[in-house]
Amino acid sequence: MTPTSSSEARRADRITSVRPVAPRRSPRRSRRLASNVVGAVVVLWGAATAAFLAQMALPGDRATAILNIRTGQAQERTPDELAPIVDAYGLDHPVLVQYLDYIGGLLRGDLGTSYQQFRPVWDLIGEQLGSTLVLTLTGILLAWVLMIVWVTLTAGRGPRVRALGSAVDTVTAALPPYWLGILLLLFFGLTLRWFPVMGGSGVNGIVLPALTLAIPLAGFMGQSVRAEYERALDQPFVLSARMRGMGDLGIRLRHVLRHGSIPAVTLTGWALGATVSGAVIVEQIYSRPGIGKTLVSAVGAQDLPVVTGIVVLVAVLYVVANLLVDLVYTLTDPRLKTS
Amino acid sequence: MNAPRTRRTLAATAAAAALALALSACNNGSVTVPSADAERVDGGTIVYAHQQEPQCLFGGWIEQAYISYQFLDNLFSLTEDGEAVPWLAEDWTVSEDGLTYTLTLKDGVEFTDGTPVDAEAVAYNFDYWVAGGNSTAAVWLGGYYESAEAVDDLTVAIHLSRPYPRFIENLTQGYFGIQSQQALETRTDEENCEQPIGSGAFVVQEWNRGENVVLVRNDEYTSWPENAEHTGPAYVEKVDWRFVADGVTRVSALHSGEADAIYDIPAIEWDGLDGEQYELHKYVTPGRPQQISFNTTRAPFDDENLRKAFIFSLDRESIVDTIGHGVIPFEGNGGVSQATPGYSQKAADWYAEDIDEANRLLDEAGWTDRNSDGYRTKEGKTLEVVFPYNAGTIINADGASIFQAVQEQAKATGFKVDLIPVPPSETWAGTYSGPDSYDISAGYWTSVNAGILYINWRPSTEDDPNYSNSAFYDSPELESLILAANSESDVDAQNALYGQAQEYIAEHALSFGLYDRLSTLGVNPRLRGVWQEHAQGGPTFYDAYFVE
Amino acid sequence: MTTALPRKPAHHERTSPTRRRRRVSWSLITAIVFAALFALAAIAPGVLATDDPTAQNFADALQSPSLTHWFGTDEAGRDLYSRIVHGTRESLLIGIGAAGIALVAALVLGSVAALADRVTASIVNRIIEVAFAFPSLLLALLLVSILGPSPWTQVVAVGVSTAPGYARMVRGQILSAKNAGYVEAARALGHGWWRILGRHVLPNAIRPLVAVFTMAIGQSIVWASGLSFLGLGVAPPSSEWGALLDAGRASILQAPWLTFIPGLVILVLALTATTIGTHIQNSLEKGR
Repeated sequence: MTPTSSSEARRADRITSVRPVAPRRSPRRSRRLASNVVGAVVVLWGAATAAFLAQMALPGDRATAILNIRTGQAQERTPDELAPIVDAYGLDHPVLVQYLDYIGGLLRGDLGTSYQQFRPVWDLIGEQLGSTLVLTLTGILLAWVLMIVWVTLTAGRGPRVRALGSAVDTVTAALPPYWLGILLLLFFGLTLRWFPVMGGSGVNGIVLPALTLAIPLAGFMGQSVRAEYERALDQPFVLSARMRGMGDLGIRLRHVLRHGSIPAVTLTGWALGATVSGAVIVEQIYSRPGIGKTLVSAVGAQDLPVVTGIVVLVAVLYVVANLLVDLVYTLTDPRLKTS
Repeated sequence: MNAPRTRRTLAATAAAAALALALSACNNGSVTVPSADAERVDGGTIVYAHQQEPQCLFGGWIEQAYISYQFLDNLFSLTEDGEAVPWLAEDWTVSEDGLTYTLTLKDGVEFTDGTPVDAEAVAYNFDYWVAGGNSTAAVWLGGYYESAEAVDDLTVAIHLSRPYPRFIENLTQGYFGIQSQQALETRTDEENCEQPIGSGAFVVQEWNRGENVVLVRNDEYTSWPENAEHTGPAYVEKVDWRFVADGVTRVSALHSGEADAIYDIPAIEWDGLDGEQYELHKYVTPGRPQQISFNTTRAPFDDENLRKAFIFSLDRESIVDTIGHGVIPFEGNGGVSQATPGYSQKAADWYAEDIDEANRLLDEAGWTDRNSDGYRTKEGKTLEVVFPYNAGTIINADGASIFQAVQEQAKATGFKVDLIPVPPSETWAGTYSGPDSYDISAGYWTSVNAGILYINWRPSTEDDPNYSNSAFYDSPELESLILAANSESDVDAQNALYGQAQEYIAEHALSFGLYDRLSTLGVNPRLRGVWQEHAQGGPTFYDAYFVE
Repeated sequence: MTTALPRKPAHHERTSPTRRRRRVSWSLITAIVFAALFALAAIAPGVLATDDPTAQNFADALQSPSLTHWFGTDEAGRDLYSRIVHGTRESLLIGIGAAGIALVAALVLGSVAALADRVTASIVNRIIEVAFAFPSLLLALLLVSILGPSPWTQVVAVGVSTAPGYARMVRGQILSAKNAGYVEAARALGHGWWRILGRHVLPNAIRPLVAVFTMAIGQSIVWASGLSFLGLGVAPPSSEWGALLDAGRASILQAPWLTFIPGLVILVLALTATTIGTHIQNSLEKGR
């Protein structure tokens, strides 16, 4: 993740950027990536330990909980009834042994066994992850499209248009995703019947969920892109392009966009996180399969292996995504390369 | 710059709001009803939207019984009149002392893994359930079942320790579906959880967790129940049993034709669907209704008069009728629901709203002062009633609204009801199940007959604790009434005894009824032959077919 | 969640200095009015809503907005307007509590990341970076699954999971203050590090956080209501806005206002907080 040019640290950045920091970047790139990897491993180990501690910290008796879930009757249980479950999950081993088993399992790709189901967490997550990833990526893609269209149309024009563009960005960025999702479902799904209500894995079933994710994200990205875009519109190269006879739309799309969208690119790592969060909610609303739905029901049942398994897995994906985005950033931003 | 923006934002929001409200008032189109002489179409896939996804496809939860009913056969099937008719078992006899049941099985039936449905497999299933394979089946058999053995290939002998007159009827519940012994013995728990092997009309093809279970027709099906509507394999090729938790989404799926049949119609949608000519099925679940029982081991409800005062404070019927939109049936009986054989109307009518009487009883008991919020106090203590309920799992949104109404009405006579919605995790961890944790508790338990009374009211002893006795009430008198009823083979006498037990419960205000649990189905008229099996009200698709 | 970071670029970049001083900011005024209304609703709800929010009246169930019931009624006949007004306190308290926890955690983490020795700082930095990009709802859900759903859990979960974003800001602020000219001057004058920290660095770093705190309240309420919506926070019959929204879903086809209006209120509060926070931020910037 590239902190220095996201705008929340922008103020700090404007002051520190007076000092030439950039020249040190290129030769030290490999060293930086290496320290990233080491740091990432440390973080993952920390996350895994925290996950394990979380499972230990669970109040109440786990074996009772598991049996109650399986029978649908909440009541106290006799030790005889609980014995097979204690055995199956190794709940009577000393804590250190359980911890080492857990870490060892993680290294082998074994995320534990779900309390609710008789299955390894890995299988459970593996089935659902694909659907969520598809939704997330579609959402981000759609957000980009919406943002580009909107900013291109409304940035750097008359004051009223700019104001409208900015207002729409602000309002859409603040939209609670669950509210937006329900409204879209109500409008387009339940009332107009343009889209199916039972979700499902087809293309038709992904439009509304992806749109629910895309609209707030587009507004949010639009806010930071807009300023950069308008700044870029004032650059000399734009004037020279106009003098060469290039059309307005052409200039906007071909020259200005690349500069203006830099803030959005740096936000991609964070956007992925925000969209996954949104996906959890969206899957609930649209009854879509995915880790979101799995996660919420696991949280409700305190099925910690599933919850911690998802957290650890996503953390791993994060670290990888982070490294990739760092790479993309350093490659695409022309300003960094040249300095 | 700011003024137009604010105005525009406000205008846009207002326009969107108006549009939303206007559009949502639009009526949805009505369904095409095929003509009366429409022809049957063979094959096809039924898309059925069920509500709750279970953790395994076979087990002790009613949601598991519903789905396993499609691919497992039972020994007997229950008719509308509560009579057990042959299914996998063709005939049965019982010994003089009532302790040995001899079942004769249908010949030539095979499980879908090729092994035969024989006496040994059936006997194995019984032992498997009691050993932990199905905890609810084990509860039904507990205290009665001793062993089962294969007398010959098609004859099973089941030995009981005590007479159990309604034993055969209890076996019609989905918990007692017969699975392949080979599958249970040689496969892993996980495999048996995901794809149980039975001899039923359908076979589990795949389970996409969080999405659906795909059932395909068993083309070699030879073992339909006697009360089925046709013979031979099922008509449709596939059943797409989907899991859609949200009630509104299910109803919309039915409206839009995405689903051919749906489960659990929210009460508020009932009239709309009815008017549009969907086929609606309503099954009042027998067994313990959705009732509230008092914790009789601690104050305030260790005093029978206070219990009565609480019940008298409530106008239960109007609560249920309003929130249930006239669809959810009011149930006055705290013992069993109106669909249960042996139901006592007298017990149901025992209490009506009587605020004056409630106030009088409370005053008599010394709760004469009121604090600033209007709750009664006595010697500085407030009349507090802790009421946890299992939010989201056992109690749905309508149920929660009904409890809130109870809380409101009890407030008028001075009871301070602490309504505590318990999240599923704590529910399953049993946080609110001990005698120190609540004053009143709610719950239901489906059962084919009034034998459930024994499970719910058997006193809890040290050697044999009964955690299902939510009132923690120990009455040898009540127990002996119920046991006598359970062992009585004459149906009328049995019902009379069960009635007495219910009246005992009402007289001592141990629990009071609110509403009966409903199993509802909505079906598109182009799909015929869907009916609810009579043991637990689950859908059965064996006889279903499309018409056009 | 997309209102995670306060990031409105300053308006003044695009307007000329003379126009800036004359213009009255209508959005700010609207925001202040709403903020006052919310505060009033939280402190003295009886002033704004005289009806009892828990009063059930079955005859009036599911009525659409009208003159007697401004926001309509729910399935038990309760007046939605009263419920929303009375629910303001709970929603706001959860939001403020969560924002408070987030900022305190952010201060601690950010300070360590900016001021500690190289190794510690880089580790904490990495934690912040990964936690920042990590889906915050997942973190919140993990906390909820350990602590069990309840309003307190909501506060802690939302606070902790949104802290990394603010930690980055705090770190940036402290770093920039640390490297600023006056610090060098103070060092040259021989002042000790602690004195410089206490007198110059920390105050300058913390001052902008007032704006951040305001915006964080808005964001926290959206998130916390999201948890209630998922059934993992406050539960019915609470009048907390997320719980109202969740409760309204069952009757969405017959009574869409029960879902629409609570969500709209959440949106308005989020916008109010963002607008006020942004203005504070901008005026602080202008002050530099």
